[in-house]
Amino acid sequence: MSRIGVFICHCGENISRTVDVERVAQVTARLPGVAIALDYKYMCSDPGQNLLKKAVAEHKLDGVVVAACSPRMHEKTFRNAARAAGLNPFLCEMANIREHCSWVHEDREEATAKAIDIVKFTVSRVKKDRALAPITVPITKRALVIGGGIAGIQAALDIADAGHQVVLVEREPSIGGHMAQLSETFPTLDCSQCIMTPKMVDVANHPNIKLYTWSEIEEVSGYIGNFQVTVRRKARSVDEDKCTGCGVCMAKCPQKKIDNAFDRNLGTRPAIYVPFPQAVPNTPVIDRDNCTRFKTGKCGVCEKVCGPGAIDYGQQDQLIVEPVGAIVVASGFDLYNIGPKPADSPYEGYGEFGYGAIPDVIDGLTFERLASASGPTGGKILRPSDGKEPKQVVFIQCVGSRAREKGISYCSKICCMYTAKHTMLYKHKIHDGQAYVFFMDARTPGKNYDEFWRRAVEEEEAVYIRGMVSRLYQKGDKVVVMGSDVLVGVQVEIEADLVVLATAVQARTGADLLAQKLGISYDRYNFYSEAHAKLKPVECATAGIYLAGACQGPKDIPDTVSQASAAAAKVMTLFAKDQLEREPIVARVNERNCAGCLACKKVCPYGAVEEKEIRDRNGNLIKTVAYVNPGVCGGCGTCQATCPSKSVELDGYTDEQIMAMIEAL
Amino acid sequence: MNNTAQKHDATPLVAESYYAAVTDALRTEAARLLSEGVVTAVIGYKEGRRHGTAGPAIVVDPARANELIFSAACVNNLALYLTKAKKGVAGTGKIAIVAKGCDLRALAGLMAESQIRREDLHIIGVACAGVFGSGADRREPLSAGNLAGKCRECSVGAPEGADIVIGTLPPLPELSPVEAEELARLEAMTPAERWAFWKENFARCIRCFACRQVCPFCYCEQCLCDRNRPQAVETTPRPAGNMAWHIVRAMHLAGRCAGCAECERACPMDIPLNLLNRKMARELKELYGHEAGLTPVEKGPLVIYREDDDQSFIK
Ligand SMILES: Cc1cc2nc3c(=O)[nH]c(=O)nc-3n(C[C@H](O)[C@H](O)[C@H](O)COP(=O)(O)OP(=O)(O)OC[C@H]3O[C@@H](n4cnc5c(N)ncnc54)[C@H](O)[C@@H]3O)c2cc1C
Ligand code: SF4
Ligand code: SF4
Repeated sequence: MSRIGVFICHCGENISRTVDVERVAQVTARLPGVAIALDYKYMCSDPGQNLLKKAVAEHKLDGVVVAACSPRMHEKTFRNAARAAGLNPFLCEMANIREHCSWVHEDREEATAKAIDIVKFTVSRVKKDRALAPITVPITKRALVIGGGIAGIQAALDIADAGHQVVLVEREPSIGGHMAQLSETFPTLDCSQCIMTPKMVDVANHPNIKLYTWSEIEEVSGYIGNFQVTVRRKARSVDEDKCTGCGVCMAKCPQKKIDNAFDRNLGTRPAIYVPFPQAVPNTPVIDRDNCTRFKTGKCGVCEKVCGPGAIDYGQQDQLIVEPVGAIVVASGFDLYNIGPKPADSPYEGYGEFGYGAIPDVIDGLTFERLASASGPTGGKILRPSDGKEPKQVVFIQCVGSRAREKGISYCSKICCMYTAKHTMLYKHKIHDGQAYVFFMDARTPGKNYDEFWRRAVEEEEAVYIRGMVSRLYQKGDKVVVMGSDVLVGVQVEIEADLVVLATAVQARTGADLLAQKLGISYDRYNFYSEAHAKLKPVECATAGIYLAGACQGPKDIPDTVSQASAAAAKVMTLFAKDQLEREPIVARVNERNCAGCLACKKVCPYGAVEEKEIRDRNGNLIKTVAYVNPGVCGGCGTCQATCPSKSVELDGYTDEQIMAMIEAL
Repeated sequence: MNNTAQKHDATPLVAESYYAAVTDALRTEAARLLSEGVVTAVIGYKEGRRHGTAGPAIVVDPARANELIFSAACVNNLALYLTKAKKGVAGTGKIAIVAKGCDLRALAGLMAESQIRREDLHIIGVACAGVFGSGADRREPLSAGNLAGKCRECSVGAPEGADIVIGTLPPLPELSPVEAEELARLEAMTPAERWAFWKENFARCIRCFACRQVCPFCYCEQCLCDRNRPQAVETTPRPAGNMAWHIVRAMHLAGRCAGCAECERACPMDIPLNLLNRKMARELKELYGHEAGLTPVEKGPLVIYREDDDQSFIK
């Protein structure tokens, strides 16, 4: 006969308000196999846990049921208490009479009856629980960081400084991300390049960082502590070991008229290029789509001029497998496209703003390039159409953001601040110019942020007009902005020389595909989801994968860097141990019964099922059966549901237990 | 019932000489395979004790290859002998097996389920005009009148993917698909009528498990339905347990059953099991475009998850 203790929690009044906890205790105390049942105001408190520990000793309990909240809340707490009292923690189960009962019912009689049922079947389950030992798996103490924007750079540096190897994978030819494109940064107006490039150089020189640029993630397998990541190193056509970064090739390349994406297509670059002069690494890449040698077979100038002979037209993509124990995803963001709506985009686009057809209507990032000392105009703000200095500039905020009718309901968080910054940068460069801003609200929480915005309005004389813009059109060499000022209640029309749209921060195109490779979840806008909005803001629900920066949602640099360091700290915490302890709630195969159909192997979402050969003493193969690698198994139970002969079962959730629970009702 | 011969048209489907020729070629091939040591055994058919019948045979000696035959009486699906009934055979080395089109589909399915490996098999395909239905007078030649129901709508008469195919079939007449017609009749019923139909049929089940024993896909070491801790299906032949058993059988075979209809042939109580199999096969085809056993697919539709899977059935 079992000796089970039932501990019923009032949860303050959360449970006892609707459930008659004393009655639950009285009734369940009489269940066969139950040695003691008692109720207490807060089971999870110290005195509550002590009640449990004392009862285990006094009544020699061999199983414990805590009827309280969801196991997600306190299962660990009570299992630890059971362990402290000398009981195997896996002989302690939660009966959820809060979320599953008191919170969702009103009728006290019925709720009490249901609570009794829940305790009853949990008692049946505990009776058939097995004592389990935790599973330990070794940890590969190397981290992968995906994305070399400021988020990825910060995370990589922190982890590397802690003494661990880091593999940093960046899709572009250089690290830097969006921050490398910015001119000066709010709220302090320090030059973005100046604070960014030293960090980029640190990455390049760090002995613990292995940098793969012009590379992408091909495949990810494994699990926390033991991932296998296949990296595709795209053919660069330049041997990184030989190249000295002298840049002769770029100077001599005859094909120079290629739109420079880094400069938002305002300038041009050669076919062999680095995106910007401070690029890390400083090794160029050949843009094969635009290179004459690749298109026609003729040319080959770069090969001839390259002193160290680093040019290699025959280079192929390379696949490299990197074992890592943790992954930080820092793949950043894209901006809302102000041009025509791409066919597969879920977003509406801005027909009323000319769909990007008016050359002097640009987005904020393009303005950053115009204002940047290293930009295509050398830091002079000149408008794209005719290179004239714009004397009237209209900034429009919330383009795409907070526009439910256009498909995005969230606030992009950074645009109020950077638009204020833009008006300042503009005023600093063109003293007699006038900036106008159309805005819905000014959202400037953050240290010194509101002060910064006020400065734009009060000292730098930007005219803020609260209202929306309904239309933009070209009139001669002006862009006419038609909007409304809702505070005054009038229509406004401004003939602008340049219009800057603060377009929404969006998830990366293809962010969903990367997420699918990693097995992490994402929201309906394709931003990656954290495990808990408040308490686990940098962890993914998938163990061992962490988030940093704008890939998780719109963020400015301070927030991005904080999150990156937090993700790095999580990785370091993981790496502080040599072995990872995992819950032993894993599937086990009954090898005698298993027919080796491997249906379980086919359905297992974790790739935990392997084949195992059973041989007799003479080494003859008797049969091949399934084997569940306990280090990999996620305990989802999919195999159990699939196995036609019921030869694989999840500990703690065996068919026998489930049937016993049903029978208890 | 559907496997029972339909008693009308008695025109022979193929000439007697066809079977003689196939049998000859079969014997020559079997003798060659055994004497050259290509295989250690040939699984085929030999003459039964009663005239006009045939039964399974395993030949290991080239001298006895002339015991092998092929005729319309060769009803058994020999794939079975590679899984449970004579499991030991599979361990002895490469094996040759005589396979009709429907048997070949079972072999392909078993390969996909890791039960056998293609490289361990030498498949001797035989072009088949159909086999006798149960109750057919074996002294008469095979005709539309005594053909098994499943063969009336067979699409795999000439097996594909075998190592060798013996025989070339003469053009065969189009026959009315009696099983499909019966299925249509059932589908036209109201759910209550259909339930009554199956209840009546399953009520007769005596739980001899002949259907299970003869099925090449029921190769589990211990059937779920024989378990008692916990007991999933009541073991005594009572209505509830019978119903449960037959639902389990149908569900476990969905997407796998190759349509050989051996279960129905073996059933002493004449329960039209192949109707259920066909129904499941049709659902699988309509829902997932899957046909069991055409090629050894790595993952069948019921063990695969795709983002674009049809989910309209979730209501
Ligand atoms: C116009 C504008 C002005 C701004 N001004 C300021 C400012 O003044 N102050 C401020 O604090 N913030 C500002 N910001 C915000 C700032 O740019 C972001 O906070 C910051 O860039 C976020 O960094 P990140 O590393 O998360 O993303 P990103 O900078 O986008 O970097 C992501 C990196 O990951 C790489 N990547 C993407 N996908 C993959 C993949 N699949 N595999 C490998 N690599 C991949 C990308 O190539 C990129 O290098 C501004 C933003 C804009 C648009
Ligand atoms: S599904 Fe069941 S029988 Fe098939 S291999 Fe897995 S455990 Fe064995
Ligand atoms: S419970 Fe089964 S299906 Fe789920 S992860 Fe473990 S082995 Fe794979």
